[in-house]
Amino acid sequence: MVRYTVRRLLQAVPLVFGASVVTWILIHAAPGDPIVALAGEDGDAGYYAMMRERFGLDRPLHEQFFVYLGRLVQGDLGFSYRQNRSAVGVILDQLPATLLLMVPALAIATVIGISVGTLAAARKNSTLDNSARTATLLGHAVPVFWLSQVLLLLFALRFDWFPVQGRNDARTDYEGLRAVLDVAHHMVLPVVALVTVYVPPIMRVTRAAVIENLDEMYIRAARARGQSRRRVLIRHALPNAMLPIVTVIGSQIGFMFAGSVLVETVFAWPGLGRLLLSAILARDFAIITAMLLMLSVTIILMNLITDLVYSLLDPRVRHGT
Amino acid sequence: MRRLSLLSAILAFTLLAASCGDDDEPVSQPAAEEPAAEPAEEPEPADDEPAAEEPSAEPEPEPAAEEPAEEPAVEEPAEDPAPEPEAVDDSVRGGTMVIALSDDPGHFNPGITTGFNVHAVTGSMFNGLVELDDNANPHPDLAQSWEVSEDSTQYTFHLAEGVRWHDGEPMTSADVKFTFENILLEYHSRTRGGLSGILESIDTPDDTTVVFNFTQPYAALLQRLNSTEAPILPKHVYEGVDDVQTAAANLTPVGTGPFKLESYDIDNEITLVRNDDYFKEGLPYLDRVVMRVIPDQNTQVLALEEGEVDYIWRVPGGEIERLRGDDSITLHGVNSGPGGGFCIPTLTFNSDREVFDDLRVRQAIAHAINRDQMLAQVIFGQGRVATGPINSQMAFAYSDDVTTYAYDVDRANALLDEAGYTSDATRFTIDLLVFSFGDFPKYGEVMRQNLAEVGIDVEVMPLDRSAFIPRVFGERDFDTNIISYCNNTDPSIGVARMYISSNIGDIPFSNGAAYVNPQIDELFDAAASTPDVARRGELYGEIQRILTAELPYVWLLETRFTAGSGANVSGLQANSGHVAETAYFEE
Repeated sequence: MVRYTVRRLLQAVPLVFGASVVTWILIHAAPGDPIVALAGEDGDAGYYAMMRERFGLDRPLHEQFFVYLGRLVQGDLGFSYRQNRSAVGVILDQLPATLLLMVPALAIATVIGISVGTLAAARKNSTLDNSARTATLLGHAVPVFWLSQVLLLLFALRFDWFPVQGRNDARTDYEGLRAVLDVAHHMVLPVVALVTVYVPPIMRVTRAAVIENLDEMYIRAARARGQSRRRVLIRHALPNAMLPIVTVIGSQIGFMFAGSVLVETVFAWPGLGRLLLSAILARDFAIITAMLLMLSVTIILMNLITDLVYSLLDPRVRHGT
Repeated sequence: MRRLSLLSAILAFTLLAASCGDDDEPVSQPAAEEPAAEPAEEPEPADDEPAAEEPSAEPEPEPAAEEPAEEPAVEEPAEDPAPEPEAVDDSVRGGTMVIALSDDPGHFNPGITTGFNVHAVTGSMFNGLVELDDNANPHPDLAQSWEVSEDSTQYTFHLAEGVRWHDGEPMTSADVKFTFENILLEYHSRTRGGLSGILESIDTPDDTTVVFNFTQPYAALLQRLNSTEAPILPKHVYEGVDDVQTAAANLTPVGTGPFKLESYDIDNEITLVRNDDYFKEGLPYLDRVVMRVIPDQNTQVLALEEGEVDYIWRVPGGEIERLRGDDSITLHGVNSGPGGGFCIPTLTFNSDREVFDDLRVRQAIAHAINRDQMLAQVIFGQGRVATGPINSQMAFAYSDDVTTYAYDVDRANALLDEAGYTSDATRFTIDLLVFSFGDFPKYGEVMRQNLAEVGIDVEVMPLDRSAFIPRVFGERDFDTNIISYCNNTDPSIGVARMYISSNIGDIPFSNGAAYVNPQIDELFDAAASTPDVARRGELYGEIQRILTAELPYVWLLETRFTAGSGANVSGLQANSGHVAETAYFEE
C-alpha cells in the first residue's frame, strides 16, 4: 500500500510538470496582452516599453518560458500583476472562502445524491424515481447563474429571508457566535445553488450503479436467504455500487478548488472562481498558471485518493485481481 | 488517461473563458468592473442634468483668494460653488456607509495606476492639489489657492496649513515635489504621458509653496491635479523604497484624506475609518466606510434595494426607470469621478483599409447608423447623440457648428453607389471589433442591422479587453471597432490622443484610425498651450469642424453615468474621488 502510494506520487511529478508547461503555452498562445491591466491607460510609448521591460514582457516568448520554468523548479509560481504580490499568496488567501462554500455544498449534495439515488434505484420507475430523474434533468439543464438570480429575487428580495451578497454583513462587525451565524446566514443561498449543481451527477451514477448491482446473482442469493429488501439494499447493493460513486465525488472535489465562477460572482462571494475569472480577463498570467497548476495537483491527488479508497472498499482491487 | 482528459478539459475551459469571457459570465458585466484595468475608456459618465438630483451640491461661499498682488493671476481658485454640503448638525455624525466596488483593487497606491477600482478606494484616503467639480472646474483641496503666470508657464500653489499624514507626520511641499518627480512622472501612465515632456522643474521655496515651471505654455494643468490624476503621496514612506510598484507600503496606505485604512480582506471588503485629524474642519461625518466587492451589477442593484449597500457607482441603464420609482433610492447623474469622464463611444475606421480611403464610404456609414436607435436600445436614453469628438458637457471647448450626419438610408445608398459599390445584394463585408462586456456587443448588433440595410455586411467580433487592445493598437488587424473614448477633464488630455499623428502605434487607446493631418496636429498643439480660454474654445471649434468633415471616426453617443444611493444618505460627492468626504446619514 505504501509502496503503491509512493510509486503513484512519483508518477505524478512528470504529469504535474507537463500540465504546467502545457498550461503556460496555451495561455500565451491565446491572444491577449496584460499591458493595460498592468500599466494603466493613456501612457506614452516610452512608458509602455519601460513597463514591458520591467516585467519581462518584451523578451521573446521562449525566453519568458525558460524564465518561468526556472522559477517553477524553485517553487516560485510568479508575481501577480493585479495584486502586486506573489500569486501563491493571493491564492492561499482566497482558498478558505471557497472551501467554506464548497465543502458543505458537496457534503450535502453527497448525502442527498446517494440517498435519493439509492431509493430511486430500489423503486425503479416509481413516482419517486421519475420525479428524481426529472429533477436531475432540470438540475443539469438550468444554468446556475439563472437559478442563483431566481434564488436572490425570491428569497432575498421578495421574502427577505436571506441577504443578497457577501460572506458577512458589511455594516456591522459581529463577534463570536453572532459572527458565525452571520456567515452561515450568508452561506445559505449560494450553498443551495451549488447543491443543485452537485446533486445530479452523484444521484444519476448512484441510481445506475445500484440498479446494476440489484440485478446481480448475489442479491438474489441474499434475498433467498431471507434478508430484508432494506438490508440487501444498504448492506449489499450500495457498498458494491460505491466505486463509480466515489469516482464522481472525487472528481468533484478535485474541481472544488477552482471554486465556482458563476455562483461566486452572483452572490459576491470572495472565492477562487472569481479570482481565476478576473485573472483570465486581465491576463494575470502568474495567477492563471498557478491556479491551474494547483488544480491539476489536486485532481491528481484526488485520483490517487480515489484509487486508494477503491482498495479499501473492494478487496479485488487490493489484491490486484 | 482519465487524468489527462480532465486536464485537457480544464485547459479547454480556460481557453474558452479567455476567448469569450461573456459566455462564462452571461450576466452583463459592467465596463468599469474589468479587472484592474482602467477607468477612462469605459465608464459611461456624462450627464445632461448633473447635480439635479444631487443633494450635496450646495453652494458654498468662495474661499478667500490669496494671490499676492504682484503676480498677475489669470485663473483664480474656486470662483464656482465648491461641492460641499451645508453645515451638518452634529446629531447626524457617525454611521458606516457601504459602497459597492466591482472588483478588488489589489493595492492602494493611486500614484502608479489609472485603475478605477484603486482610485474608487484611494480617493477617500488621499488628496490632490485640487478637486474638480462635475464640469471639471478646479476647487481647493490640498492647495488652498494658486496663481498662474500670464503666459501659463508657471503655476504657484499655496498648500493648506497644518495638514498631517495619517501617521502624524506633517505634509509639506517636499511631499508634492517628491510625488511628482519620483512617482507620478514615472508610473502614472496618464500624468507621465501628459506632463513629462513639458514640465521643466518643481520648486519648493517654503513648506507650503509649490511652483511648477513649464518649458512651454500649458493650459490644462489644473485639470490634471485632482486625486485621480495626481494624488499626493508621503515622501517619508516612499523615499528610498526600492521599487515603488511592488512596495509593501502600497498595501498600508498613508494619506492625508478623510478616511484611513482599517482592514483589507482581499476580494471581499476594504474598511476605512474616520481620520480624526483631517485638515478640513469638521469633516468627515461618517465613522466608517466599507467598500464591498460585488462583481455582478445586478447583485449590486439588489443589494442597494435591500439596503445592504448605500452607494453604487453605476446603475445599469435597464434598471434606471424601475429605480426612479423607488422612494428608498436616490439616483445621481454625474459626468466624472474616479472613472474618468465625458465619454463618447466611437466607431473607428482603419485608414490602412482601402475601402475607407473614399470619404463617401465613411459618410455613407455615418448616415446609415441609426444613433437614435442606439440611444434608446443600447443605453436606454442615458445620454444623447454625439455631434463630434468633444462632449457637449465640456462647454468651453464644444462646438455644434460642425458637419452632422443624420440617419438617412437613401443618402447612404446614394453615396455608396457614387463610390462605385453598386451591387444589389452585399456591397462589401467589414469586421467590427467590440469589447465582449457591457453595452459594447449591443452597439455592434445595432450597427450590423443598420449597415445591412445599405448592403454592407458587418461581422461583429466581441473580444475581451486584453485581446482587443493588442489586436487594434498593436497588430492593427481590424476594419472597424467601437471604443468608448473619454474626453476626461480637458480635450488636451482625452481628445488629442485619438487624432494627433505622433500618437499612432502600439499604445493602448491612441490614434487607432492612424489618422494623419498636420493641420490638426498644429491646432491641438496650439490649443494646449494657449492660456486664454475663449481662444482655446475657438481652436477646439476649428478642430471639430475639420474632424467632422474628414470623418476619420464616427462619434456615436455621449453617454451618461448614473450612480445610485440609499435615500437616507446625503452629501455624497458622486462626481469626485472624495465620494464620502462630506456624506452623512439623515435621521
